[in-house]
Amino acid sequence: MIQPRLVWELARKDLAVFASDRRGMLLCFAVPILLASAFGAIFYQPAEGPGLRPRVHLVVEDDSPLARRIEKQLLESPHLQVSSCLRETARRRLASESSGVVILLPSGFGKAMRLDTASRNGHTPPTLELLHHPSSVIEARCAEGIFTEIALREAAHDLLAPLGLGAARLERPFQVHLESLPSGGALASHAFSHSFCGMTLQYLLFWGMDSGLMLLRERRSGLWRRLRAAPLTRGTLLAGKALATALIALAQIVVTFSFGAVFFGVTINGSWLGFVLIALAAALLASATGLLVAALGGNETRARSISILVILSLSLLGGLWLPAFLLPSWARTLSLALPTTWAARGLEGVVWQGMEWTQAAHCAGMLALFGLGFLVFAWWRLVRADSPHLVSQGG
Amino acid sequence: MLPVLSIESLRLCYGEHCAVDHLSLEVWPREVFGLLGPNGSGKSSTLSAIVGAHAPAAGHIRVMGHSETDEPLLYRQQIGLVPQDLALYEELTARQNLSFFGKLYGLFGRPLQQRVEEVLDFIQLTDWAERLPRTFSGGMKRRLNLGCALLHRPRLLLLDEPTVGIDIQSREAIFTALRELRASGSALVFTTHHLEEAEQLCDRVGIMDGGRLLASGTVDELSRDYDTLAPGWRLDGPHEPVPSPMKGPRLERVFLELTGRSLRES
Repeated sequence: MIQPRLVWELARKDLAVFASDRRGMLLCFAVPILLASAFGAIFYQPAEGPGLRPRVHLVVEDDSPLARRIEKQLLESPHLQVSSCLRETARRRLASESSGVVILLPSGFGKAMRLDTASRNGHTPPTLELLHHPSSVIEARCAEGIFTEIALREAAHDLLAPLGLGAARLERPFQVHLESLPSGGALASHAFSHSFCGMTLQYLLFWGMDSGLMLLRERRSGLWRRLRAAPLTRGTLLAGKALATALIALAQIVVTFSFGAVFFGVTINGSWLGFVLIALAAALLASATGLLVAALGGNETRARSISILVILSLSLLGGLWLPAFLLPSWARTLSLALPTTWAARGLEGVVWQGMEWTQAAHCAGMLALFGLGFLVFAWWRLVRADSPHLVSQGG
Repeated sequence: MLPVLSIESLRLCYGEHCAVDHLSLEVWPREVFGLLGPNGSGKSSTLSAIVGAHAPAAGHIRVMGHSETDEPLLYRQQIGLVPQDLALYEELTARQNLSFFGKLYGLFGRPLQQRVEEVLDFIQLTDWAERLPRTFSGGMKRRLNLGCALLHRPRLLLLDEPTVGIDIQSREAIFTALRELRASGSALVFTTHHLEEAEQLCDRVGIMDGGRLLASGTVDELSRDYDTLAPGWRLDGPHEPVPSPMKGPRLERVFLELTGRSLRES
């Protein structure tokens, strides 16, 4: 049985205790904002800015006209950031920078690549050297594709010239319609949206942990004995705790996103109703996490260490730090079993991917299921562990 | 007349270990009952069972005729608990602490405000009502700890070593408050290691050891039945009386007679 009025009074007391520590309260709201702002600033790149173009160091050791034309086209490519340099310089840059690709045209490349020569039997095609930083595999593939298109176009030009078609230029015989779905633009241009979603959700879990640690402390003090001796059901007592945690979690969401909207243009592009549903489900998850920490805890130090490990793992795998598509496929599959995945999917969906409320409701429902699961488990553990904790060791 | 507290054949176990065994006692209105015993004797476990925190393995506990298993909320409404640890919210003022605990016992609005003022006056903290407990002395915290258990006028007040670590003036103030509570009709059960306190305050005492109630009665009755040494003698080792220049408190002599002198580790 739950006693609603007493649930509210218990929650009000916890809110008053929370508000009494002004500095603590300020930090509680400021830390997710600072983290989100920092992450956003690091990853922010305008949609059409240079950041989205892979950085390529071009080394041309071949003096053939074909190689020179390829070099010129590469330098003018709108899809790459290309700079010419010598072989050693390119290698040194690759080693000293944390990303990058080197395209190296060795001597004789142009001659060996001529399509009329290449078509003869027994001819060995030239080797393009493509070097990349270990973190730039995708950029290397992108550069390879763009190089291939340019090289084939220029080589075809040489092939067609004897036929009197030297002035003709081979262009892509189709158009490309580029659109991101769900609509909301490219990820890089929404770095702040992503970071505000991720850091808010991560900090909600940390708030849940803090709330659980407070409950652990309370359980070991005379206060818990006094509360348990009062005419309250256990459900009332735990619901009061959960309500206070959830209300503060909701306040964190509102404050963090308001800051993001005012200073970084983070807006709700999708359904507002979906946003509210996700926020409520995330607050439920935070409060359930708190009870779970208190229920599993043991002592405070152990509970804190384990909780931090779990929360950071959930954040990483759930896509709260980096977008989930950057994870390996096994991790993406595994992450479906994590609440943070559904939270991130739903919140990012409604914030910058134009998600409809029905899709958001699906994510919120999954999140709520995790929250309820945590609550039930925590409840079971707390009921089981309650009595021995209440007996002091005096005599 | 109905006893305020009635315990019949209580047995409390933690796994294989029984902390309390075959405990029976009754406490009546306007009575202060002292529960005495060395460490690990079962006093605090008994208090935990009375507040419903520990389900008995056997036996029954009734407060004003109510059972915790049948009517838990009504049962708990009759009880005020003063835990040994200070059970206060350091972040809330004295008034906020009292108001919060009053609400838990169903007091709201004007009756609550009125009762908070009465209790503040009773524990002599009216002038400190808006201060945080962290600014209080040990004695003031103890008085507030007591006050938080009095808002709902409990019929049974349980006090677990309520005078630990405070000065004599604060102890006297608390004792005066407890005597007033007794005079108002409440029954008090309190545990202490200070036998002179028990002798000073209690109408009856019960001495526990090994989870059993070894003896109970008034100090006079216990002294008559168990204090076998003549005044001016004390025990030196098991059952070896030697002359003593000081006349020890009667209850202490009874206590040692019943529980022995060996050290208790738990």
